[in-house]
Amino acid sequence: MKLTACTARAATVACASLLLLSLPARAVDAEAAKSLARQNNCFKCHAVDKDKDGPSYKKVAEKFRGKANAEARLIEHITSGEKAKFPDGHEEEHKIVKTSPPKDMDQIRNLVDWILAQ
Amino acid sequence: MNNEKPGAFRRLWNVLKRPSAKYSFIAIAGVSFVAGIIFWGGFNTGMEMTNSLEFCVTCHEMRDNVYQEYKETIHYSNRSGVRAICSDCHVPKDWLHKIIRKSKASFEIWGKITGSIDTREKFEARRMTLATHEWERMKASNSRECRNCHSFEAMSPELQKQTPYRKHMKAREEGKTCIDCHKGIAHHLPKEYVEPDE
Repeated sequence: MKLTACTARAATVACASLLLLSLPARAVDAEAAKSLARQNNCFKCHAVDKDKDGPSYKKVAEKFRGKANAEARLIEHITSGEKAKFPDGHEEEHKIVKTSPPKDMDQIRNLVDWILAQ
Repeated sequence: MNNEKPGAFRRLWNVLKRPSAKYSFIAIAGVSFVAGIIFWGGFNTGMEMTNSLEFCVTCHEMRDNVYQEYKETIHYSNRSGVRAICSDCHVPKDWLHKIIRKSKASFEIWGKITGSIDTREKFEARRMTLATHEWERMKASNSRECRNCHSFEAMSPELQKQTPYRKHMKAREEGKTCIDCHKGIAHHLPKEYVEPDE
């Protein structure tokens, strides 16, 4: 009986730990992310669940699902001006996302995490 | 017989309407012409002073809110060193539209007196309303103030990125105007604003 209670407690702790580990390090502020996306005209080329000139955010999230470097890769993509491939095959520099105050990485990370959560 | 002395206004009117017996027509016309130039010059100089960036940010409502946001945008600082100040976007250049806009803007003094946006919270609460007014004004004038500097015709397919160029040419075909797509370029967008196709 004593062993069973102990086992149950250990299982609960293990489950809680697993749950905590599986959650993102920060809670995503969806409204702040969308606000930053609007301010940077992201929705001119992207939508949450529809392809435009750029892929839908759901598609982006799907592509990066389970990849360890997803966040870092997307941050690089939207802050470095690297080339993005368009549906017609041509390549163009991706717009560099700007924040207010400038270069606020917390805002950038929140936007990327929101995209990855779609 | 009425011996009552006329009032001050009546006496002034009598003086004004009496033909001059002392000064020649040329003297009166000449003095009027010079006085007219001085008055007109003074009036326009005064009006131009209210177009300066310094004048706009004398009010803390502008200085602490939209001015801080504008300073982070390309219309304030850019590679070519051309700056668009408040009046370049918000006040028409030609005299007739300018005087109409200035007359309407005089109502903003009432807002200043009553403190309608004298705190950050009040400003944010009214941002959507104020921005909507300005978007509607720009839409109604076919983005006239944007077009003082920008035009579809001057966009180079070689120098502009392919995607924006294609979108601009499509917008021209569809009869769209700058403000249809370019909202919140020099200020933060209101929190209530939602893109039509998110």
